Amino acid sequence: MSAREDDRVGALEVGAALPAIHHTLTRESLIRYAGASGDFNPIHFSDRIADAMGLPGVIAHGMLTAGLAARVVTEWLGDAERIVGYQLRFTRPVVVPDTDDGVELVLSGTVTAVDDATATITLDARCGDERVLGGAKVTVTRG
Amino acid sequence: MKVAEFARALGGDPSQGVPPTFGIVVAAQAWESMFGDPELGLALHRIVHGDQKFSWQRPLRTGDTVTATLRIEQVRERGGMQMITSSVAIATIDDEPIGTAVATFVHTPEPVA
Repeated sequence: MSAREDDRVGALEVGAALPAIHHTLTRESLIRYAGASGDFNPIHFSDRIADAMGLPGVIAHGMLTAGLAARVVTEWLGDAERIVGYQLRFTRPVVVPDTDDGVELVLSGTVTAVDDATATITLDARCGDERVLGGAKVTVTRG
Repeated sequence: MKVAEFARALGGDPSQGVPPTFGIVVAAQAWESMFGDPELGLALHRIVHGDQKFSWQRPLRTGDTVTATLRIEQVRERGGMQMITSSVAIATIDDEPIGTAVATFVHTPEPVA
């Protein structure tokens, strides 16, 4: 274990805010994630099918947003192997327009519980003013 | 290589290990057998992911050879939609448990013509 990581785990105090990540999603991001994850649901790349399904546009894979949010924890700790639990709800779709600029997500986290064995970090994912994940919690081991 | 591709698709650094949501790639293989089962009558484009919960006994690591066992835990009807809760148990081929991925999907059935 590196000294840095040890310090970070020791510093997990309730109320501590983790550094936020700003991440821009474009249609290319969705194609890359589809290929990497194997999730080829056409609502993530076809305007025609997204429209037919009553969606406001092509939407990002929920697990893409969830994976981005988890980076708040892994990049701060520098160690993905400490994560023993991760749960979340997909509360709002993230519409990704077919533009150069795409859409920006802001991912952040706050330590909300600490005991001897574990710490819980509650994550927030926002697209503009909207919260797109609900009840998003990561549990990490402290031992 | 698949792990590195997945890490890059999340804008992350592939050298930082297996992303904690990589288990979804394993779980999705099991979901495919559920979505594609003609008896269940589901259609992928009519499915939206509602929630997800991972519990890990130990992290997935590059080089693991794993199995995924899917159980449909619950199906509820709500407002003409089906809420399907499925649980995928991930283990090594030597039966060492690695973790569980529980997901709820919202399926909108095909309109009756």
